[in-house]
Amino acid sequence: MASSEIARYLDTGNGRVALDPEGYLVELSEWTPAVAQALAAEEGRELTEEHWEVLKVIRHFYERYEASPAMRPLVKAVGQALGPEKGRSLHLMKLFPDSPAKVAARLAGLPKPANCL
Amino acid sequence: MILHILNRPPSSSLAYRDALAAMDATDRLLLIEDGVLGALTAQIRHFQAIEGRLFALREDLSARGLEGQCDASVQVIDVDGFVTLTEEADKTVSWF
Amino acid sequence: MSSTVDFSGDLLVILRHAPHGSSWLREGLDTALVAAAFGQTVSLLFQSDGVLALTKGQGAGPLGQKGTAATLDMLAMYDIESLYLDPEALERFGLGEQDLLLPAVALDAASLPRLIAGHRLVLTF
Repeated sequence: MASSEIARYLDTGNGRVALDPEGYLVELSEWTPAVAQALAAEEGRELTEEHWEVLKVIRHFYERYEASPAMRPLVKAVGQALGPEKGRSLHLMKLFPDSPAKVAARLAGLPKPANCL
Repeated sequence: MILHILNRPPSSSLAYRDALAAMDATDRLLLIEDGVLGALTAQIRHFQAIEGRLFALREDLSARGLEGQCDASVQVIDVDGFVTLTEEADKTVSWF
Repeated sequence: MSSTVDFSGDLLVILRHAPHGSSWLREGLDTALVAAAFGQTVSLLFQSDGVLALTKGQGAGPLGQKGTAATLDMLAMYDIESLYLDPEALERFGLGEQDLLLPAVALDAASLPRLIAGHRLVLTF
C-alpha cells in the first residue's frame, strides 16, 4: 500500500518528490521518467532499455488492474508483453536484484505490492 | 469427514442452506453462537436432512437460556467436544 | 457437465458477500491472490450474495471506494482460473450468464461437496 507519510524528499534534478518510509512515491501522479532515474541512481542502478520496457509493463499492469503485481503475475505480464525470453524470473532478477516486484514497482512510481513478502 | 460450522440461525439467514448443500453423506454440522437457534425443536425441521450429524455448542445454548428447548435429536457438546470433533475431521469449513 | 471437471486444488475460497457492503469480498479476493502469489492452486466459489461480485458494469462506491472489477480481471494474471458459482444464487437476483464479467462454472448439487472435499483448505468470506 502507498503510505501517506512523508519520510523524505527526492531531488529529481527538476524539482523534488515526497517519498514514504519505504522509498515509494507518496503521490503517484508525480511520477516521471526522471523520478525513476533519480531513484535508481540513489541505489547505484543505471536504467537501460531493458529496464524501461519492464517499467512500462508494470505501469500498464497497474493502470489496468489497479494493483501492483506480485512476482508471478509480473513475470507473466512481462512474458505477454515482451515475449517468453524476457518473461522469466531470472531476467527480472538480473534487472532488479533482490526483489524485482518491489523494486520495479518503486521505480515505476507505484505502491508497494500488497501480496508479496 | 468434514466438520461444517454454522453461526447464523435459519430464522434470519440462508447460510444454513448453503452449508447443507455443501455437505456430503458423512459430514457433520456444528451450530455455534446464533446458529444454536436452529437447534430448537421449533426450528429443527430445517436440519432434517442431516439427522444424527447435527451438533450444538452447549455454552452458546445455555448463555441464551435455551438448553431446555434444544431438540432431542441434536447432540449437545461442550468446548472440549468441539475440539474432539475438530480432531476427527479432515478439515473444517465455516459458514456465516 | 461439471461432473467431469477436476475439482482438486490447494485452496478453495468461498465468496458469500456482495461488493461494497462490507470488506468480506475484498478480503477473500486478497487471500486468494496471496495464496496464488506463493504458488498455491486456488479455486473460487461465488455463492449466495457473493455472485454479485461477478456482475458487469460495477464501479467505485459513492465515496470513491475501489470496486472489485479490476481485481476480478486480474485473477487470470495470478493463474486463478477455476471459478465456480451457485446457479440458484444467480437466479435469486434474476441474473444470467450474460450478465457476468467472467465465465464461471455453474455447480450442480452433487458437485458442491466434491469441490469442497477436493481442496486441502477451504476458507469462507
